Order: sequence, then C-alpha cells, then structure tokens
Amino acid sequence: MITLYAITDHPTPPVPRLGEMRVVPSGDLAAVCGPVIKGEVTAEALWQHEQLVEALMQDRDVLPVRYGTCLPDDAAAERTLQDNHAEFAASLDTVRGAVELAVRVFAALDRAHVPTPAAAPMTGAEYLRARARSAAEESDATVIVHSPLARAARACTVARVNRPGELLRAAYLVDRDQTAPFAAHVKEIQEGNPQLRITCTGPWPPYSFAGS
Amino acid sequence: MSDKYLHRPSGLDSLGDPLPSIDRVLPRRLNADPENLERGLAQLVLTIVELLRQLMERQAVRRMDDGSLSDEQVERLGQTFMALSERMAELREEFGLEEEDLNLNLGPLGNLL
Amino acid sequence: MTTLAEQDIGLVDLIDRLLGGGVVIAGDITLAAADVDLVYVGLRALIASVATATEKGVLPGMGSAL
Repeated sequence: MITLYAITDHPTPPVPRLGEMRVVPSGDLAAVCGPVIKGEVTAEALWQHEQLVEALMQDRDVLPVRYGTCLPDDAAAERTLQDNHAEFAASLDTVRGAVELAVRVFAALDRAHVPTPAAAPMTGAEYLRARARSAAEESDATVIVHSPLARAARACTVARVNRPGELLRAAYLVDRDQTAPFAAHVKEIQEGNPQLRITCTGPWPPYSFAGS
Repeated sequence: MSDKYLHRPSGLDSLGDPLPSIDRVLPRRLNADPENLERGLAQLVLTIVELLRQLMERQAVRRMDDGSLSDEQVERLGQTFMALSERMAELREEFGLEEEDLNLNLGPLGNLL
Repeated sequence: MTTLAEQDIGLVDLIDRLLGGGVVIAGDITLAAADVDLVYVGLRALIASVATATEKGVLPGMGSAL
C-alpha cells in the first residue's frame, strides 16, 4: 500500500528528500507517493503530512490529495492518473501559481453566546427572532468580509458554519505573491469591524480547489 | 507545528467555549462497517433531519421577516422549532453524536451540510 | 509562541483542508484509524449499505427509491 500526497506536472523538479516521497509519472502528470504511515491519527501526524505537501509546494504547483488516501501500488497510481487525466490537468491549471488562504469570522466575544432554550426559557417568538439574528449576523459577515476578499482572489469557496459563534468559513485562491496584500486587506477589514473576530491562516496548498 | 497565521484578532485566547481537542475536532465519518451500522445509519438519518430542520427554520425566518406570519403563527412555529431542536439534541446524545457529526462527506460532491 | 486556542484554530483549518478537501480518488475507502473514523464512503457504497440495511430489516422498506 502506498499513500498519495499530491498530483503534479510531469516532469517536475526533484522532490525533497523527506518522508520517502517519490514520483510516479504517467504522461504529463505525476503522483507523489510514499509508504503508508501507520499509527494513530493525531495532530502531529496531520502536521507532518502537511509539511511534506508544503515542501512540495515550495518548488512546484500541486494538487494536494485528501489525507489518508491509499492505493495498492504504483500501477494503481498510474491508472488513477490516466483515468482522471482531464480532470486533474484542468484542476492543476486552475491552481497554477496560487495558494490557498483560509478565513474564519466569529462574533465578538460579548455577542458570541446565542441564548439557547436549554440555557434560558424563551417564547417561540424569541427563539425565532434569535435565529433570525444569527442568520443576519452570518449574512453581514459575508457581505463585510467575504465579498471584498472574494474580489481580491482568483477563486473562493464558502463552507457552512457549524460552530457556535462562527459566522463565516471561507477559502480563497490567491496568487503566490499576493499573500501579504491579502493579509493586509483582512487586517483592514478587522480594524473597521470590532463586532467581528477574523482569523486568516495560510498559505496552504490549494486543498479546497483541487476537486472537480 | 508551524505558524500558519497571517492574521489573528487580539484576545483570541478567550474565544468563548474552549476549542475542543483533536478527537472532537476530527469529524466522524459515516461508517458502513456492519458492526457500527446502527450508529452510522443514525448519523445518516439525523443528518437529513437536521438538513430539513435548517431549511424549514430558514424559511420560517424569511416569512417572519417579510411580515407574512401572524404573531400567533410566529409563536407556534418558534415553539415547534425549539421542541425539534431539543429532540435533536436528545437523539444526538443517545447515539453519541455531536453537532459537527451531522454532516455527510459525499467525496467528490463535498459536504452535504 | 501560539496559545492553545490559536493552535486549535490552526488545527481546525488544517483538518478542514486535509480531511475536507484535496483530490478525492472516488470509490476508495481511505485510511481508518483506531477510534477515529476517517473512512469516507463513496456514494455508491453508501447507497449499497442503505439497501443492505433495508433488506435486513434494519430500515423500513424504502420502496424502489434506491
């Protein structure tokens, strides 16, 4: 069994001497593979995997593969590249020269706690109005934070929020040399909006833009 | 662990609820292993119910906002959604599922919710 | 030096990417680890498992929808 880290062009610069990574080519694409790493899935394991993909990203464009993807052998990797050639080639073109930046927006601390029926009894109307307020806050965060950032990015995706107090969770595909200006833009938006708490992490390999 | 932060607000330490440890943060996927079939199916069913609940709630909020519901209707709908929300919480607890578990990863199609 | 809360947020963003994104090789079952299900079930396998559950009476009959 082998594990897949990323899909790249072929030919590609020599891969870093890390994690026993090696290149399995097929036509003008290649899969960067390594031995399956056994053991529990821990934060450390995830970061270690990520470091390998980021090391690859330093010297080339990559389509990162979902963590834990395994194939029986090199032949299977070649077949995968052949079977999905058009899709992989198109995705690689989409992310050429770009990295991913992740943005999350939370309500400011004093507003993060939405009263729940369990915490304090409320009428039906109060509940629905509280839900409406949450929906409005999410909508505001989208307009205030997402819209301007989306304009500054090559592409973007927005995920559904699922944590209390979370108003927006988005990913932006940004040219490699635009990371600092993008971060500055985030800072500017934060400074103008104390009712929000904004985080921005990256640069990441373009995980959110690698699929079909 | 490398520092991936390009921007963080001050005072992030007090993010309200402490962020969970990794086993809570890692999403549990639908497990079709026969031994866990019941729990996996509960996850599937509850996810779909949750999807419907969110859609209906959003619809109710829209109609409340555009004034097409009477006060009595707002109250009744609110009560219904509250009860549904509490029942969902009970069912989740029964199957050992967290809110974040009520999602389905459909591979190439992304997440359902 | 990042605080625990900040590390967790970095971790959440990491997980969103590694487990929620990236190229998906359809139809394969991916790595499963003790106690933490990383198994994602391809759509066909999901439908098959629900059909099996119906046959076995775990789920009430769902007609010919599947």
